Amino acid sequence: MPALLSTIHAIGLLTCFALLGTSRIGACIRWLSLQGILFSLVPVIAHDDGLTLRVILLAAGNIALKGVLFPLVLLHLRARANYHREVGPFVGFVASILFGIAALAVSLGLALELKPALSHAPFIMLEAAIFLIAIGLFLIVSRRNALMQVIGYLVIENGIFVFAVITVVDTPLLVELGILLDAFVAVFVMGIAVFHITREFGSADVDQLTTLRG
Amino acid sequence: MQGGSAILGMPALATFGAVACLALRRPPHILAATVIVSALELALASYLWVAVLAAGFVTAAEEWFFVDAFSAFHLIVLVLVFLLCSVFAAIYFADETGEHAFSRPVARRFGALWLGSLAAMTLVLVSNNIGIMWVGMEATTLLSAFLISLYPSRLSLEAMWKYLLICSVGIAFAFIGTIFAAASMQSGGGAHAEALFWTRLAAPDAHLDPTLMKFAFLFILVGYGTKTGLAPIHSWLPDAHSQAPAPVSAMFSGFLLNTALYCIMRFVPPVRYALGSDFADDLLVFFGALSILVAAAFIVFQRDAKRFLAYSSVEHIGIMTLGFGLGPLGSFAALFHMLNHSLSKALGFFAVGRLGQRFGSHDMTTLSGAVRSDRLWGLALLGSILALIGAAPFAIFISEYQLLRAAVGAGAWAVLAIFLIAVSVVFLSALRHLIDMAFGDAGSPVAVLRTRLPAFAIVVPALAVVLLLGLWLPPWLFDAIGQAVAVVSVRQ
Amino acid sequence: MLTLQGFVSPLCALLLAPLLVGIVNRTKAFIAGRRGPPLLQPYRDIGKALRRGSVYGDVTSALVRLGPAVNLGALVTGLLLLPFAGVPAVVGFSGDLIVLVGLLALGRFATVLAALDTGSSFEGMGASREVHFAALAEPALLLALATLARVAEASSLSTIYGGVTVAAWAQALPTFALVAMTLLVLQLVENSRIPVDDPTTHLELTMIHEVMVLDHGGPDLALIQYGAALKMWVLGTLFVGLSVPVHSGRLWLDGLAALAGMAALAAIVGLIESAMARYRLVHVPQFIVGAATLAAVGFIVLLV
Repeated sequence: MPALLSTIHAIGLLTCFALLGTSRIGACIRWLSLQGILFSLVPVIAHDDGLTLRVILLAAGNIALKGVLFPLVLLHLRARANYHREVGPFVGFVASILFGIAALAVSLGLALELKPALSHAPFIMLEAAIFLIAIGLFLIVSRRNALMQVIGYLVIENGIFVFAVITVVDTPLLVELGILLDAFVAVFVMGIAVFHITREFGSADVDQLTTLRG
Repeated sequence: MQGGSAILGMPALATFGAVACLALRRPPHILAATVIVSALELALASYLWVAVLAAGFVTAAEEWFFVDAFSAFHLIVLVLVFLLCSVFAAIYFADETGEHAFSRPVARRFGALWLGSLAAMTLVLVSNNIGIMWVGMEATTLLSAFLISLYPSRLSLEAMWKYLLICSVGIAFAFIGTIFAAASMQSGGGAHAEALFWTRLAAPDAHLDPTLMKFAFLFILVGYGTKTGLAPIHSWLPDAHSQAPAPVSAMFSGFLLNTALYCIMRFVPPVRYALGSDFADDLLVFFGALSILVAAAFIVFQRDAKRFLAYSSVEHIGIMTLGFGLGPLGSFAALFHMLNHSLSKALGFFAVGRLGQRFGSHDMTTLSGAVRSDRLWGLALLGSILALIGAAPFAIFISEYQLLRAAVGAGAWAVLAIFLIAVSVVFLSALRHLIDMAFGDAGSPVAVLRTRLPAFAIVVPALAVVLLLGLWLPPWLFDAIGQAVAVVSVRQ
Repeated sequence: MLTLQGFVSPLCALLLAPLLVGIVNRTKAFIAGRRGPPLLQPYRDIGKALRRGSVYGDVTSALVRLGPAVNLGALVTGLLLLPFAGVPAVVGFSGDLIVLVGLLALGRFATVLAALDTGSSFEGMGASREVHFAALAEPALLLALATLARVAEASSLSTIYGGVTVAAWAQALPTFALVAMTLLVLQLVENSRIPVDDPTTHLELTMIHEVMVLDHGGPDLALIQYGAALKMWVLGTLFVGLSVPVHSGRLWLDGLAALAGMAALAAIVGLIESAMARYRLVHVPQFIVGAATLAAVGFIVLLV
């Protein structure tokens, strides 16, 4: 249903811009959770073969992981690190939003270029996937807080998930499981790493991790 | 099929070993377990290699696993280096005291992560499914991250975080590339279920979509290139290598980087069929040359010995990538170079690690007069660094010379010039430190270390092989490498 | 194209604009638990100011006297361009949305010049803040109107707002919703309402708009107050024209719906003012850029 996909696309874009412009970590985690739940619905809507049990399980698993589990882990980490705001990121919030608009234009262009080769993929979802990956990468690069970097990584994972679902026809279950498992393990590993870092450094401020240079 | 069970046995054995390490009680037992598992893996790999050289390839489990000459060569180098590293780890950790004491929790963590990484790497090398290959690479990232911060400290955590984040993003990009590759096969009308099998992807009649394959290779190169240490996405490498314990650094340089390069090269035959040879070759040459230049530029002002070796790894990975982009002759040189580099680099990290234990720091000015104070490890340091910078008659000199011939043959004059300049810069920078490190005034040691038989058992054969290969390439090795080259040097 | 029927809407505006301000104040008081001033109080305030005399400083020039008049003139001219209640504007031509934004800018420019002309540092501070926010708000307004123009594939306000029906909403739901949100935010920004500026503060250092008109008195103040009410009407029309898509063809029904929408908008502004606190000055640009982004996203959603 194109209208439903269009709504998911618009709200998904808004969650990305919200992530770019919000400084409170808790709010960012909630936006991420909304984004995860939203894009978990894409396989249900965009599947040509209709609603099979596999598709429903995939969507449900994604919602459980990205909508519930990961945000809980991140909130727990935030409480542990006691670092509730992103103060002074490397790229300011207004500039980040302007970058987001530029990234939107670029992802449109890239999606247009890929459209002839991937004709069975809904165009707006293709563009949304590229945009998510770009925004995730930008968050990792421009933010000082390690938790924000993990959030950026999870945004990239969302983008890859949407991309995989719409691109590969009749995705082997392996691929879908691989993505979910990868995100799951990665979050736990990063969580443990952040825990070690905050314990050793006393904060999750990545800017303090600059001793090794050259 | 003959050898099929060996394929399945390799990752299974390593996984079993990893789990077993979590249950063992005494650290020496854990270290012994890693050595035993590595030795058994070497036996399995040799058996597999012989089978592959005889039959051309070996498959298992309905083509989910596939080992041809290219993977078999990589497997042999992997387990050989792994065995050496495991023996060295037994020597190294036995003498760690104080806050770096190799206590039971540390030992269990080390054993499980070490053998787990081995399992993941063998999985990457034996799988035919590019999705499983990717899962293996992701697993190596997650497992080896905690090997870096085996002893948590501010610097090691910083290195670990950088490694984790940069390589996770890289692996995510590699996954996008994998999806593109699968999509390109499906667009061409290939059967959907087998879209992820390399044997189908690299078949000459796969009918791959050129646009999708182009994007696939770009993402694969950038994604796996992050893990292999190609500039400009190599920034995690010096930190991770310098902060990890010496056996872990040796394993990284000795094998983990090569595994990632293997993954990139696996995608080259499909790209050659879909887009012609120039696209892949140009990209490989570009990134290779860039890595060599960046490494040479940074090596000049290094003071820490392990960081120096890390940048040297970036340089040598660049040389290998360059070789793969220069046609069959260059690919031959690259694979030969891989063997030589793995052995020499592992030896170099062993020496620096051991001498670091003796002198208390890895700073190159502190490690002076190594040959005087510790005959064996000093000689190992001298030999390995001489080998690494390309001094004759060590094997790396020969492989670099073959690369030069390949460059001349391909008419790549600019590349030739860049290569010669960069290698000379590295040669001079290294020699400046090396002479002091080896022959200078003996520094003041902080620890007394006894050199026992196992140390001799790894240093002497390694040095001997690196020297021997520089003088004489055995015909069977020549054939084996030639068969491996044939896998990746397909003509359109 | 000049239409006689179109004069109804500017007349409504001229008569009813101060009532909007009254509704806002009454709503705020109601929520605070007070009875509040009568709804027609703004009229009495304007009348009171008209009857007073003016005092001008020695350092001022004619700009101080011109400022309020030019502002009011620009706004009244802008009224001629606005469609209301489904009735096309008095004057409509292709590209008149840019003229409207330009007239608002002209009004603001005159006010700022008058503020700077008084020679007081407080006014200068207010002027610089006002212009800073305007630099962000004007592109946002243009973007919002451009998005609507893209939907209607025309660039005259009458045509654009004439095409906003329930069917059009159903077709371009995300875009219209986003642009409506942007226009609501701009309503708050342009009329110096909380969370951008507090109209009831008495601390000069926290003022933005109020401080610019601090030294005006008498008829000038009346013109300024009336102009502020008209500005609220103008921007309110843009919002209500989008969010109340009643085009039944019967003037009395459409007019009633539009007027009800304006009153509701005023009540909403009052609600927002009561519920929120003023943003720190450094966060206001983020707020405005966020609104612009909503419009931009609405625009891009159209393209795909």
